[in-house]
Amino acid sequence: MAKKVLVVGGGPAGLAAARALGRLGVPTLLIEKEEKLGGRPILENYYTLIPRKLKPSQVLGPYIKEVEENPNIEVKLKTELEACEGEPGNFKVRLSNGETHEVASIIVATGFQHFDPRRKGELGYGIYPDVITNLELEQMFSKEGRLYRPSNGQLPKRVAFVFCVGSRDRQLGVTNVHCCRYGCALSGLQGSEIREHYPDVDVFCYYMDVRTYGTWEYPFYWAPQEKYGVRYVRGRIAEITYSPADGRLRVKHEDTIVQRPAEVPMDLVVLVLGMEPSEGTKKVAKILGLAQDPDSQFLIPSEESGSNIVSNKPGIFIAGACKGPIDIESSLSEGEAAAAEAAAFIGAKVSV
Amino acid sequence: MAIHERSLVEPERILRKERLVIDGIDVSGDWNLIILPRVINDYDLDFAKEIVNSPDGKTINQCYQCSYCTASCPVHNYWDERYNPRHFIHLARLGLIDELQKRADVMWRCVSCHKCTHRCPKGVLVEEVLKVILRTMAKRGLIEEYPSKKFDKFFTEQVLEYGRIEDGELLFGWIEKQGYKVVKDPILRKPIPFIGETPEWLKQLTMKPIKSMNIGFLILNAKHMLFHPRTKNWNKFKHVLRKVMEEEGALAH
Repeated sequence: MAKKVLVVGGGPAGLAAARALGRLGVPTLLIEKEEKLGGRPILENYYTLIPRKLKPSQVLGPYIKEVEENPNIEVKLKTELEACEGEPGNFKVRLSNGETHEVASIIVATGFQHFDPRRKGELGYGIYPDVITNLELEQMFSKEGRLYRPSNGQLPKRVAFVFCVGSRDRQLGVTNVHCCRYGCALSGLQGSEIREHYPDVDVFCYYMDVRTYGTWEYPFYWAPQEKYGVRYVRGRIAEITYSPADGRLRVKHEDTIVQRPAEVPMDLVVLVLGMEPSEGTKKVAKILGLAQDPDSQFLIPSEESGSNIVSNKPGIFIAGACKGPIDIESSLSEGEAAAAEAAAFIGAKVSV
Repeated sequence: MAIHERSLVEPERILRKERLVIDGIDVSGDWNLIILPRVINDYDLDFAKEIVNSPDGKTINQCYQCSYCTASCPVHNYWDERYNPRHFIHLARLGLIDELQKRADVMWRCVSCHKCTHRCPKGVLVEEVLKVILRTMAKRGLIEEYPSKKFDKFFTEQVLEYGRIEDGELLFGWIEKQGYKVVKDPILRKPIPFIGETPEWLKQLTMKPIKSMNIGFLILNAKHMLFHPRTKNWNKFKHVLRKVMEEEGALAH
C-alpha cells in the first residue's frame, strides 16, 4: 500500500493523528517545524494540563515514544511544508528540506501561538518584572518548582490573575475578539495550586465572565473558591502601575459589584494570555487553500459538513488548535478522528 | 469654594478646613476644601479572614454572586433596597469595611425568614453568614448594636431565669426598660398592666385579644404575671446553663 498520509505539525493533535495512522498500518509522514515533538505543552514547559491535572510528559510522552518507534511513521523535524499541487488522493508536496513526496491525504495540525502581551502596553508587561504571563507562571512551577517575584526573588503576598489578555478585545483589531476558552480554567487551577502550597498567599482573579464550561465548572471555578479560597472580583484590569514607595504593583480597575474604582496593591500580576493562530497555520492555509475565519484567521471546517475536522478541500483534514482555542484532550481526540477520516479517504485496508 | 455638581459628591468625601497647611505652606482660604477620591485603596483581608475562619462563616466562600438571595429577600424587596445580602457578602469577602459601614443602619434588619439560605444554589448559609459579618463588625466597633438586640438580651435573661417566658411580664417589663413609667405592685415589685404609662401600640396590640378571652384564661394569665411559671427543677439547671453560655461567649452578643 503505497498511499501515504502527510501530517503537518507534531503537537498533540498531530501526534495523535500520526499514532493512530501508524497503528492502522498506514504509511505516515509527520513533519514538525521545531526540533522536538510535543507542541506547545512540551516546548514551553507547561506544568499541569487541564482538565485532568496530568503533566505534559505523562500525557504526550507515550504518544511521542510510539510515534518515534512505529516503523509506519516517518518523522521529519525542523521541516516545513513549502508547496502543494495535485488533486485529492494524489497530492505532490514539497518540503523545506527540498524533498518532494506524493501523498494521498493531508492532516493539518499546525496549532496556535500565545498572544504577545506587549501589545497591551497599559498592562506593563516587559516594563515591570513582576507582571508575568500565565505561561511564565507555568514555567516557574515546572522549571523551578517555587513561586517568587521576579523583581526580588521573594514569595509574593498577593497574586492577581488578569483574565482575557488578548482575548475578547476589539481594541486589538478583529483578530482577537474570540474567547481563549482555557484561561478561566487554567487560572482557577493555578490559583488553587498557589493556595495549596502557599496558604498565606492571597489570590485574586479579575474577570468579566468566568467561562469554565461544562464539567469544568466545579474543578476550575467552584473548587478554587470553596476549597482554596481564591477570590474573584468582577472588573477588567485597565492599567497596571508601580509604586516605588512600597515596591508593589497597583491594579487599576472598577469593582463592578461595588461600583467604585480601585487601585489595589499586588505583588505578582499574572496575565492570562489569549490564543492566536500560529504563523505555521496561516502559512499552511495559504499553501493548501484552506478556508480561514476572516477575523481571527483560524481555519474553519467545511460548511457542508457537520464535523469539525473536515476542511473545505477534499482529502485535507484539520485537527487541534489551528481551528481555534481547544484543550489538550479534545485536541488528541480530534487528531485521532482526523486519522480515521484520512485512512477511510485513502481506502486503506486496515488490519488490526 | 463652591463645588460643581455637588449632588454627585457624597457628603462624607468633602473635607473643609479652617486652616490648611500642606508641606509647610499655608493654603488656608480658597484652597481649604478637599474632595476625597472614591478609589478603593486596599482590601482589609484580616477582616475577611476572621469571617471565613469562624465556624458559621465558612460558607461565605461558596458565593458566586448570582443574587438569588437578594431577589428572594423580603427586606430588600419591600423595605429598603440598600439591604442586599449578596452585596454584603461581596464586601465582607474583600474586607471593604467603609462600604459595609455605609449600610450600617440597615444591616440589622434581617427578619430571619431564611428564604435566602433555603434557595441559595451554592449552599451558602446566607442568614448565618450575615450574622457573622455583623458580629465581626460589632466586635471591631464598626457598627452600633441594633435596638432589637437589647430585646433579645432581655428575652434571653427571662428564659435563663425561669426556663420559659411569660408574655405579660416580658411585654411590660420591656416597656419599663424602654423608660416608660410603670406602676408596680407593692409586694412582688412587678409592673401592673395598663395602670401606668402604656404606649398606644401596646394597648391596641393587647386589648383586642384580651377582650375575646374567657374569664378563666384571664385569671390564669394574671396569676402567671404575679407568680412567674418556672420549668420544673430549673434552679438546678440554670446555673450550669448560664456558666456554659458565658464560657462560650454566647451572652456577650
